Amino acid sequence: MNIRITYNWLLDYLDTDATPDQIREYLSLCGPSIESVEKIGDDYVFDIEVISNRIDYASVIGIAQEAVAILPMFGKNAKFKKNPLEKYNFKNITVGNKNICSLHVKITDPKLCPRFTAIVIENVLISKSPSFIKERLIACGIKSINNVVDISNYLMLSLGQPVHTFDYDQIKGSTMIMRESKKGEKIITLDEKEVTLPGGDIVIEDGSGRLVDLCGIMGGLNSSITDKTKNVLLFVQTYDKVKIRKTTMSTGVRTVAATFFEKGLDPERVEPTLAYGVELLEKYTGGKVGSKIYDIYPKKPEKKLLVMSYGVFGKKIGVEIPKKTINEILTNLGFLVEHDGSTLRITVPSFRVNDIDIPEDIVEEVARVYGYHNIPSKLQPAVYVEQPKEMEDLFVFQNRIKIFLKHLGLNEVINYSMISRSMIEDGGLKIEDHLRLSNSLSEDIEFLRISLLPSLAKNIKENMGKTRYNTAPGLKLFEIAKVYIPVGNKNICSLPNEIYRLGIAVNTDYADLKGIVEAVYRELNIPDDLSVPEIVDKNGVFMTEIDFQTLIDNCQLVPTYKPLHPYAIIKLDKTFEINPKKTYDIIQKMAFKSKLLQKIEVVTLYQNKLTLRFYYSSPEKNITESDAKSELEKL
Amino acid sequence: MDDNKYIEEINSAKSQEQLSELEIKLLGRNGIINDLLSKIKDIPNDEKREYGQKINMLKTSIDQSIKVKKIELSKQKSSVFFDKTLPGKAYPKGSIHIVSYAVEEISKIFEKIGFIRVSYPEVDWEYGAFESLNMPSNHPARDDVETSFIDVPAHLKLGKMVLTPHTSNGQNREMKRVGKPPIRMINISKCYRPNWDPTHTPMFHQFEGLCVDSDINIINLRGTLDYFAEIYFGKGTKTRLRPHHFQFTEPSFEVDISCNACKGVGTIHELSVQKKCRVCKSGWLELGGTGMVHPNVLKEGGIDPSASSGWAFGFGIERVIMMKYGLDDIRNYYSGDIRFLEQF
Repeated sequence: MNIRITYNWLLDYLDTDATPDQIREYLSLCGPSIESVEKIGDDYVFDIEVISNRIDYASVIGIAQEAVAILPMFGKNAKFKKNPLEKYNFKNITVGNKNICSLHVKITDPKLCPRFTAIVIENVLISKSPSFIKERLIACGIKSINNVVDISNYLMLSLGQPVHTFDYDQIKGSTMIMRESKKGEKIITLDEKEVTLPGGDIVIEDGSGRLVDLCGIMGGLNSSITDKTKNVLLFVQTYDKVKIRKTTMSTGVRTVAATFFEKGLDPERVEPTLAYGVELLEKYTGGKVGSKIYDIYPKKPEKKLLVMSYGVFGKKIGVEIPKKTINEILTNLGFLVEHDGSTLRITVPSFRVNDIDIPEDIVEEVARVYGYHNIPSKLQPAVYVEQPKEMEDLFVFQNRIKIFLKHLGLNEVINYSMISRSMIEDGGLKIEDHLRLSNSLSEDIEFLRISLLPSLAKNIKENMGKTRYNTAPGLKLFEIAKVYIPVGNKNICSLPNEIYRLGIAVNTDYADLKGIVEAVYRELNIPDDLSVPEIVDKNGVFMTEIDFQTLIDNCQLVPTYKPLHPYAIIKLDKTFEINPKKTYDIIQKMAFKSKLLQKIEVVTLYQNKLTLRFYYSSPEKNITESDAKSELEKL
Repeated sequence: MDDNKYIEEINSAKSQEQLSELEIKLLGRNGIINDLLSKIKDIPNDEKREYGQKINMLKTSIDQSIKVKKIELSKQKSSVFFDKTLPGKAYPKGSIHIVSYAVEEISKIFEKIGFIRVSYPEVDWEYGAFESLNMPSNHPARDDVETSFIDVPAHLKLGKMVLTPHTSNGQNREMKRVGKPPIRMINISKCYRPNWDPTHTPMFHQFEGLCVDSDINIINLRGTLDYFAEIYFGKGTKTRLRPHHFQFTEPSFEVDISCNACKGVGTIHELSVQKKCRVCKSGWLELGGTGMVHPNVLKEGGIDPSASSGWAFGFGIERVIMMKYGLDDIRNYYSGDIRFLEQF
């Protein structure tokens, strides 16, 4: 999430000599990332990224707190002018004697709402906001509506605590029952949309049984502020963050307020927000406090204390940071620091209890403000860690084969591991043999492949018509990737077997593909008896896939050496008429029964007339042509 | 017999063709020499010997002259123009996927400082993808990591089956495989998230570094990042860490590298006008997330966080390719388009 705040607004709370650009640079290095500074009128707008554990700095006061800690590290002054968190409390609110307006509040489960506060401001005049509020809100990307609604938004950006305002007179029976919603209950929210609730959401029902608020997310239309509103109910709460998150995710109603509440807010922040809100409403709407302060706060959180030694910082960071600097940084961030000798007792401020748990969290606070750019850079000492042989082989051979196939003129492709139903069916495979994604973005990528061939077939098909800067005949593609073979049954499943395969597809001819596979075998010195896997012919696209582990298991780094010998090699040609009962394979198996045969070569094939060349030789003695002939005649 | 006439004729030949014609005319079966030899029968007997010797000498000198002239002519340019600027014989040139190149390059960079490349499942349980990384179920941090689920019954203890949304599932597995530190791991793998738009593909690659030892600190992480950036992106490339938040590291950082286009300044001079650098926002480019391994992650991997510490990072391969080579249309990576593939 990002928030926008302005420079002048920040200066309301912060006394500093840093320019907007310096604030952007220094805070980004040590704290919140300020993604941009934009000049609007005589003010500057910061666009700030809020990381998910630091909702506490998603406000002007939150950024001021960071600035107080960070800017001095760059030689800039930064002090709070007035810290509204300290300045504003319930004692500021003058509650008159005659409080006509009352509110009956019932919270069915205290867990829903750690802190509930409300107060009525009566006799308000709905009008435009003062220009400073209006301009700041617009600069920060928030629409200006009227003085009351604008003040609630202004409070949220100032202090990081979302606030709601009701038309008090629309809360029937002055009664609010905060409870969990029932499944299917409906509420029309401020934006005039009807939301059907999944159940278990935090809602408020008024005395007439109407839902008036989808708490923490959006108020109900029936009780919203209108031009006719006389009495305003200012409403400041914190909620169970898990419930807020569930509701906003399941209903799809994502509001700025929800992005705050779902991260868990500080109940202590509620009091200054309400007090500041009362001041602004009285000042800019002409209203006056018309009720007592309702504050339901059953369990004030306990103080969070961390005890750690100064030694931890040096060990984790790698440099010794002076104790004084450590104390200053933590104090400026709002921590209460007590120390004796080597031990630190740190009280975590209430607005940081959600993200500070362990000493490492404190180390991070000190290290970042000290500045990661001030930490030197040095490689860790080298040590030897043994790489498992099977992992090493996998990567070494993959790389070797990729380079080899590239040199043969093939193009490597990487396809998605997921394929579509129709690709599976076209490939003659069964849907039920595949693992399926339950939340696939598209039916194109719904199933995990158990074969590389459907993807390769698709690649060839899609590339056939492409005009290329290359007239090399045909397409020759390969892919080395995992396939995912399911393990188990419908009830109990294990993780699938992830097996690497080499898939090759060409649209030239059968012999081309077979030759490529044989060349791979030769490159890896794989013995001749490993047969070429089945080659699929699909409308002129020839494809095959090989289990990668089989290649590794059969490969030899260096082929078996045959001693050189000075004896003659006799070459003889012979022509065979081949037929299904007399294939090359049968002929060569027969021929190799001869101990003198070293090699067979195909010379020509014309129709079914196959001419082969036989190389006969003996490593022990010279053989004669007649010796060779008699070997060949045995065929 | 006019010996010199023949020799002169040979010497004045202008081309190999002319020379071949002469050779046939003089030395061929019906050539002059044979003709002269056949006339020997008409020579008086006592002159026959001298006549024969003379003809043989002539034959030898013609033969030699032709050989010499042949060599001479072959040194001259042939009459048909031979264009040496023509390309040589065309050998096939295939291609390797740009991601494969990057994977190899990155593996080698880390291999030099003792990191071993490992291989872990791409389909894992939620435990491996989240719980083992200090991300309990229902934690909002899981939102930042959108996940693709597999449609099978969940494991009673380990949760649902998922496509790994990051390579970090290798952390817990490597800790358990090694048993005790030191760990120097580089895990490169396919990852999956349900995002498909001009800048995201539902499958992508990450490389994950994990270093655990008795005294690993932020200095070592910085050292490793600087080492990687200088070798992969080029000498002089700088890194910077910015605070961030990840559940599995504490402290957590985002790493930026200095932009090579503007040398980290953020502006470039174009026709003597100072302009904002088009490649980066402000002199820096975001590389990815990193941090010191969270004690809970070490504990979950069976490593005592009071005795060991570590750092980890996970960066996108496509992202570093984009930053290094400017190949920014990531959708082409996995479309299988031959016009894209064959360029590498």
